Amino acid sequence: MKRSIPLAIVIILGFLFVGYVFIPHKISSDFYEWYMEWIKAMSPFGVILGIMSIIMTHTARIQHKVPNWQYSIVTLIAMIFTAYAGFAWGTQEGTPFMWLFKNVQMPMGATMFSLLAFYIASASYKAFRARSAEATVLLLAAIIVMLGQVPVGVSLFGEGINDITHWILNVPNLASKRGIALGVGLGMVATSLRILLGIERTYLGGGE
Amino acid sequence: MNIFERLQMLDRRWIFLVVAIAIIVPLIIPFNSKTYTTEPTEKLYRLIDSYAPAPDEKAIEKDRALLLVFTHDASTMSELFPMEVAILRHCFARNIKVFTLTFLPSAAPIMDYAINTVKEEFPEVKSGEHYVNFGYKIGALMLPIILGMGEDISEAVDIDAEGRKISSLPIMKNIKNYNEMNLIMDFSGSSAGGAWIVYARSKFGANVGAGVTAVMAADEYPYLQTGQLTGMLAGLKGAAEYEKLVDVFATNPDPAKREFSRELLKDTKYDDAITNPNIKTKFKQARIGMNAQSVAHIMIIVFILIGNIGYFITKYKQKQQG
Repeated sequence: MKRSIPLAIVIILGFLFVGYVFIPHKISSDFYEWYMEWIKAMSPFGVILGIMSIIMTHTARIQHKVPNWQYSIVTLIAMIFTAYAGFAWGTQEGTPFMWLFKNVQMPMGATMFSLLAFYIASASYKAFRARSAEATVLLLAAIIVMLGQVPVGVSLFGEGINDITHWILNVPNLASKRGIALGVGLGMVATSLRILLGIERTYLGGGE
Repeated sequence: MNIFERLQMLDRRWIFLVVAIAIIVPLIIPFNSKTYTTEPTEKLYRLIDSYAPAPDEKAIEKDRALLLVFTHDASTMSELFPMEVAILRHCFARNIKVFTLTFLPSAAPIMDYAINTVKEEFPEVKSGEHYVNFGYKIGALMLPIILGMGEDISEAVDIDAEGRKISSLPIMKNIKNYNEMNLIMDFSGSSAGGAWIVYARSKFGANVGAGVTAVMAADEYPYLQTGQLTGMLAGLKGAAEYEKLVDVFATNPDPAKREFSRELLKDTKYDDAITNPNIKTKFKQARIGMNAQSVAHIMIIVFILIGNIGYFITKYKQKQQG
């Protein structure tokens, strides 16, 4: 029962939505409107579930003293404090919530993202080698695109570098991206069909 | 061990130090560098500018608007925030109706911050009249809202971030659905515009633009080529280009020069933005950042070259010895 009921819900609703998309009729549009009302009612429960999940996961980590359990305390305190700041004083400019956003979340987020520059520089030095013809093409393309993306590249090599950069992005890059997109699209259709027909059941969990 | 072998074994902490210096120095010592605008940015600028009311037309009567969708958190703000500020500045300077919306709770403060950053310079701009912040809507409502706005924006969104009924706001005069709110600009650190292209563009014919981080820009080119994306701001470079266009045209003190013109763009007097005290720092963040990016790119290229020279010399010596 634990698996068959969710499976039945997915299959029935899946086919109803296929019907809505492919059969333009009042019944299908009424069904869609009815579904939308339900979505609006259900969504807040998703937020509650998320909060419960965070609290349960991190309290369990603290109770069992798993490695780095101290960070879970920081997570819970930060969550409670930020939520309290938002509820108590609002989220507009000049409130403690906005202060926290500007002085804690923004610099921390920027720091994490900026680490990318350090790793790219290190990787480019340590690993980006012209070991084969393919690697050499990739390396040259990377150098040209990097130069084409900054004003100093145009100043050094003229506006022609921009044209070459655009050609690389618009022709070889686009061809490979489109190939990948088509493959992903076909894969999604195949997986969706498998789910609709009940063949694909891994999303239900349980190891099958 | 010769110098090239030593270079091969260089501790990565030295590389980190050089990167830090290369990025910090151009940020604290400002210098001017020319910003070259590209077609995807220009197309977006021109479309947004076409939504500005004519000189003899009341802004409130205008039947065109754009929607800015913030789909990113604080981590990608360094690249995306200058784009958002530049577009909002363009809208406020040219009396273009603009809406903001997010489906990410972590993007809600970014919307407020972006609006307030620009609004400080435009005291005449009023919420509900010149712009409306739709605020944060639950992610599960994304599809109903995207599709619903194709019929009626006031019904799909219902209330704004300040709790006001959308239908009662003056800005909604002559704005009903995607026929009027004809451009959706999605800012994202991942693949931007996806749902908007699939639903708003395919079903209702809305224009969709993307503002993405540089690492994601290559993914958007297929959509750009097919015209599913009207235009794109790619990373800090795209933001710098848009900042320049706003400086040259939208905020030009001479009203006769506010229309896009390639000739005016070539004028070298607009290349001193970084050291120009008349342009506030918050409106040239991307261009200042591009200086750091220029140095960082050159430095990475130098790293690649040194690494490869060391690799080939070491390989050659090993061959000779073996």
